[in-house]
Amino acid sequence: MVTMPGLLCALLLAFPAQTASGQDAPAPLNPRERAVHLLNRLGFGPAPGDVERLLEMGEQAWLDEQLRPAPAQDPRLAAALAGFETLELSPAGASQWVYQDYVGRGKKEEDLSDEERQQLRERRRQPGRELIQSVLYRAVLSDRRAEEVLTDFWRNHFNVSFTKGDAIEVQINDYERMVLRRNVFGKFEDMLRASARHAAMLNYLDNAVSRRPPTKQELAEIERNVKRRTGSEARASEEVQIAAERGLNENYARELLELHTLGVDNGYEQEDVVALAEALTGWTYDAGRRASQEFTFRADMHVESDKRVLGKTFSEDKEGGPGQGEAILQHLAGHKNTARFIATKLTRYLVNDEAPPAAVDAAAKAFLKSGGDLTATVRAIVASEEFWSRRNFEAKFKTPYEFVVSALRATGAEISDAQALTWTLQSMNQPVYFCDDPTGWYDTAEAWLDPGVLALRWQFAMDLSEGRLRGVKIPREFWNAVPDDAPPETWQHHLSLLLLPEGAGERTRAALASVTADYLAKKKVPDLRELGPQLVGLLLGSPEFQKQ
Amino acid sequence: MSDLHHLDRRDFLKWSAAAAAAGLALPRARLFGAQEPAAGGGPALVVIFLRGGADALHMLLPWKNEEFLAGRPTLRLGEAEGVLPLDGTFALHPALAPLKPAWDAKLLAPIVCAGSPHPTRSHFDAQDWMEYAAPGDRSVRQGWINRFLAASAPSGASEFRALGMQDLLPRSLRGAYKVLAVPTNLDRKRGDQTLDRFEDFYGDGSGMMEGGEDMQGRREDDDTGVVESGRMTIETLRRFQEIVGDAAGGPGAGQEGGARPDPRDRRRARDERETAAASPNDYPDSQFGRRLAILSKVIRADAGLEVAGLDYGGWDDHTNAGGADGKMAARMRELAQSLHAFVTELGPRMASTTVLLVSEFGRTAHENGNNGTDHGHGGVMWLIGGGVKGGQVHGKWEGLAPKALYQGRDLPVSTDFRDVYASVLAHSFGFEPGKDFFPGHKVAKLKLF
Repeated sequence: MVTMPGLLCALLLAFPAQTASGQDAPAPLNPRERAVHLLNRLGFGPAPGDVERLLEMGEQAWLDEQLRPAPAQDPRLAAALAGFETLELSPAGASQWVYQDYVGRGKKEEDLSDEERQQLRERRRQPGRELIQSVLYRAVLSDRRAEEVLTDFWRNHFNVSFTKGDAIEVQINDYERMVLRRNVFGKFEDMLRASARHAAMLNYLDNAVSRRPPTKQELAEIERNVKRRTGSEARASEEVQIAAERGLNENYARELLELHTLGVDNGYEQEDVVALAEALTGWTYDAGRRASQEFTFRADMHVESDKRVLGKTFSEDKEGGPGQGEAILQHLAGHKNTARFIATKLTRYLVNDEAPPAAVDAAAKAFLKSGGDLTATVRAIVASEEFWSRRNFEAKFKTPYEFVVSALRATGAEISDAQALTWTLQSMNQPVYFCDDPTGWYDTAEAWLDPGVLALRWQFAMDLSEGRLRGVKIPREFWNAVPDDAPPETWQHHLSLLLLPEGAGERTRAALASVTADYLAKKKVPDLRELGPQLVGLLLGSPEFQKQ
Repeated sequence: MSDLHHLDRRDFLKWSAAAAAAGLALPRARLFGAQEPAAGGGPALVVIFLRGGADALHMLLPWKNEEFLAGRPTLRLGEAEGVLPLDGTFALHPALAPLKPAWDAKLLAPIVCAGSPHPTRSHFDAQDWMEYAAPGDRSVRQGWINRFLAASAPSGASEFRALGMQDLLPRSLRGAYKVLAVPTNLDRKRGDQTLDRFEDFYGDGSGMMEGGEDMQGRREDDDTGVVESGRMTIETLRRFQEIVGDAAGGPGAGQEGGARPDPRDRRRARDERETAAASPNDYPDSQFGRRLAILSKVIRADAGLEVAGLDYGGWDDHTNAGGADGKMAARMRELAQSLHAFVTELGPRMASTTVLLVSEFGRTAHENGNNGTDHGHGGVMWLIGGGVKGGQVHGKWEGLAPKALYQGRDLPVSTDFRDVYASVLAHSFGFEPGKDFFPGHKVAKLKLF
């Protein structure tokens, strides 16, 4: 049982002005609360039975099982993903799947009939649609809970987006698998390097087209060629002028420093951005619908010189390869500012919008000591006192993604088609892999808790509980939580235990009781199939369920 | 095309004289303590943020400037492409043609070389700081409009003074003063029912002991602000639905039910310019157009709305910005067409309405290597309204010679964006910002109105 004085103290602590000296420390979380907290922060919330299973298994065993790479075992997940064709494809494979294995075989795009064109358009969308749905299926169904939560963190940290259009349609499926999931329990440096070399990132932040300006000889050659081809001097000189302007693109270099490694204004200047952009010229990929889409270093696009980045000189790769950029990435990955930045972001994500400094310190230390080992970093946060502190219990406002996923988990929802969920997240402004800004989606209340946003959550809660979401339904077993002989006045209690295992507040209980009373006043023979969905919708829309 | 413009111009001229006169009168009434909106509605301010760092020199082109011509071989435009000369120096991009009538009617005023003096070239910092109006100061987390609302709140003011015309508030509207973000896809039929259902959980209803705790010792405090946010959602959204009524379910009406668009369709539609309006005075069939249409309805309903904020994103054109018909042109066309429809529909109400367009920074004066531009410094801010000293380009312009540029590459900032904000607030609401309203900044008076 929760002890009253303990909770009171916890609340007083949240208001320092009211804290008298000599107060007892807030009561630690009880075992059930600890289980709920762990599932909330590293599992998108409990599904029916999860809390009991975790209690039986023990926290350490659960963490040991979760914080390591392993394939997902849930048969429902396997079944859900079975029909997808593009999840395992490389960018080249996906490109082939879209453009060569189906319509347009041998035809030029302009020769396609309207119907074929429509088919092609659908075909082009298919990889993205499958990816986004698979992300949702995994988040809801996978038994690899921590992998899903942490992958979501890195998906936003190293954001790429379908809003870039065209070529990226075939690149992100591979990115999710080979850059994010493969390294989520590995080294930060490996994930950073994998992202820097991947077609999706090279394309999304324009590094693929960043190059040194052409030399005089190259310009002369262009002039000769255009003149020969068109016979026009004016045209040739125009082309030369255009070519002369081609060159450096700072986009990726800036975000690499600002968002991926050091953090904004955290020890670099504009000169560092330019030098890094120059060092990364030539980092591109073999682009085109029939090309390999593999990383390639183009020496002819590279700015050949020693570069000074963060006060350190990186000499040119003597082999004429990408070694200079590699060395800078390595330096950035192990930089103490990077450690601090990643530690702060992860702590904010896992503990509190105001990242507790002691947990950040512990995480940054673990990051540096382990050579950027991401599992060690997460473990340091979970092992910190702050992670378990009562003031951080239910202290995070769920993002739309966390809200939707946790609602589906809490109700044990069966999903036969995730398209409706994709739309839901789109209408809540957090569609997966559609964040145009390289920041990725934020995870703080400040970004999501505007008056107005709850209306859409309530609508979703009612739609889910009353069976109005196409392809999604709450299974019959869910209602078994309410014993057959339970009086209708207690239904809310049984359903609460599943959806708000940490307990409902007084206002919520009173509101549910009043809904129950209204219903009973109208119905002589109460039916769980009528009142139950109402109560579930209200519980999912309650203030308590918006927090984790 | 020219025929249509003649029509537009006539419409504008018809009421522009009245607009000019009334534009002076209304704010003054406000200044002298009139709390109730004057007949015909109180002043309204609409702030539109162009996210991504809009390329000022591709909207307002110094089209004959030699450095401009030399530095922008693929982006420069001239008479052949249909630029619209405004004065001896600047021309509007042809895609902004729908704004030309407002210029001719002296309602439109660009301010060149305006922006933030802070050197950051980070979108996210620059946007934050422009919306919090506190460059370089990460401790300020209340938007500048929110600060105005809080500082000027008359007692018993309606919660309808301000709206974010999109699902999430622009940061300028975020803060202690609670403002509604209007959900785009709320099902209209069931929306009201949903609000009723959740009233007991969030509303001002009984069953709650103020600051008390329940039997389990669980305190009903609201340190995350969820309950307060819910209460505000119910009350203000109801009011909003009443006003907008049958016209639409929300700023994205027409999207609920049936087949919903893939976000890529929206983008494609925008890029392919399928959003063209049916007639020159109509709103384009786009989310932005629909939002402005609804906003116009709210303003015309005289419901006490003072400020509305909304975003138009996607201006980060590092590659292939395009010339007269490129992807940036498509965006500008939709923006200009939406604004034209808004201004036309408001008609005489433009006398007391001001529209302000801002972006976090301009871009490099020269093209980059990929027919686009990189993050720059100074940009252009735009004002539209009856009280605006329109038909002239404001701000200090010293050309594009290397010496005139910021760090040799970007437009400089000679007009601080905070001075523009202050000027707008003074004009629309007679509001004089206190000493700390813009932390560390002393407001310089501008003659924009």
